[in-house]
Amino acid sequence: MVKFNLPQNSKIEVGSYYKDKTNSTNLKKVNVYRWDPSTGNNPRIDTFEVDMDHCGPKVLDILFKIKNEIDPSLTFRRSCAHGVCGSCAMNIDGVNTLACIKSHTDINGELNVYPLPHLKVVKDLIGDLTTLYKQYESIQPWLKVEQTGEEKVELKQSQKDREKLDGHYECILCACCSTSCPSYWWNGDKYLGPAVLLQAYRWINDSRDGSKKERLKKVADELKLYRCHTIMNCTNSCPKGLNPAKAIGSIKKMLATS
Amino acid sequence: MEKNKNPLSPHLQIYRWHISSLLSISHRIVGVINILIITLICFWVCSLLLGENSYESTREVLKTFFGKFLIISFCWTFSFHILNEIRHIAWDMGYGFDLKVAKITGILVFLGSFILTALFFIVGKYFI
Repeated sequence: MVKFNLPQNSKIEVGSYYKDKTNSTNLKKVNVYRWDPSTGNNPRIDTFEVDMDHCGPKVLDILFKIKNEIDPSLTFRRSCAHGVCGSCAMNIDGVNTLACIKSHTDINGELNVYPLPHLKVVKDLIGDLTTLYKQYESIQPWLKVEQTGEEKVELKQSQKDREKLDGHYECILCACCSTSCPSYWWNGDKYLGPAVLLQAYRWINDSRDGSKKERLKKVADELKLYRCHTIMNCTNSCPKGLNPAKAIGSIKKMLATS
Repeated sequence: MEKNKNPLSPHLQIYRWHISSLLSISHRIVGVINILIITLICFWVCSLLLGENSYESTREVLKTFFGKFLIISFCWTFSFHILNEIRHIAWDMGYGFDLKVAKITGILVFLGSFILTALFFIVGKYFI
């Protein structure tokens, strides 16, 4: 359902203003989306003045600095801190990306940090990705073969066939693309979204997989696949530089030509 | 977990517009406008069947500044939709998904729509 406005309980209010206490001259104003499930209040935007003379180059460094030095209750997911795990995906300066590989020097003026768009917020910058993981499960992201395992024969793949997976296997499922897609915002329960479709394409395209036809048939659905209108927000936001729009286009083309 | 109590994170309100997303939404809006215009043109053609008087009255309306503005706007909506649709056909054939290419074709569509409008105008005014 297309709903342009946020529901009543999601309207964002103005939060606290944390003034700088270090007397630094190099300050950056950081606006962070906050929501605490224990209070029952509406979400708010807290503004922090951060001393940039003593802060690392990434947006994640800023968040850590706030958490360590200003407000320890700030909640966000992170793990590897160098763009491999995909935990710290969030909306920074209006575009979804990983806080750990986004440099704050790219952003002039105030820095706005929000959770990934159009998700149920769990706390502060953490969105609930349960639906996306269920959808990922629905495309059966594993090799489906006739073999039972008793044969003791290797499933070989030529170098050429392996190259077909380049640009798809690198996906870390950070959900930046899916949550940037307006189609996914309006139809997130039925439309699979760019991240899952990119994965679907990855398995359709694997030369070792035995159920290409069934996979294609399963994904060929007005809502599951064809809600993609090539808006290209997915490709614009992918922090790994992949191209989900192209993968979805390839699935459509495969279906049209098979 | 009482999921429904949890707020929805902001989406349209905060997401930055790109050329591709702007063109996509304008393509849709312009598509709807075009359907309305085509319907209007059909009515216009039908009204011409009623004879000279009805021809003259539509002509009077279209000759005004507002009428001309409308016609030129319609030329633009058609030009824009046709050019962007060509972009979509290229995508359907598997070309032009590269981010840079998509950006360039997007800008070309936007600029091209004005050039095509000017062409429509010039051809209409001097050659027909």
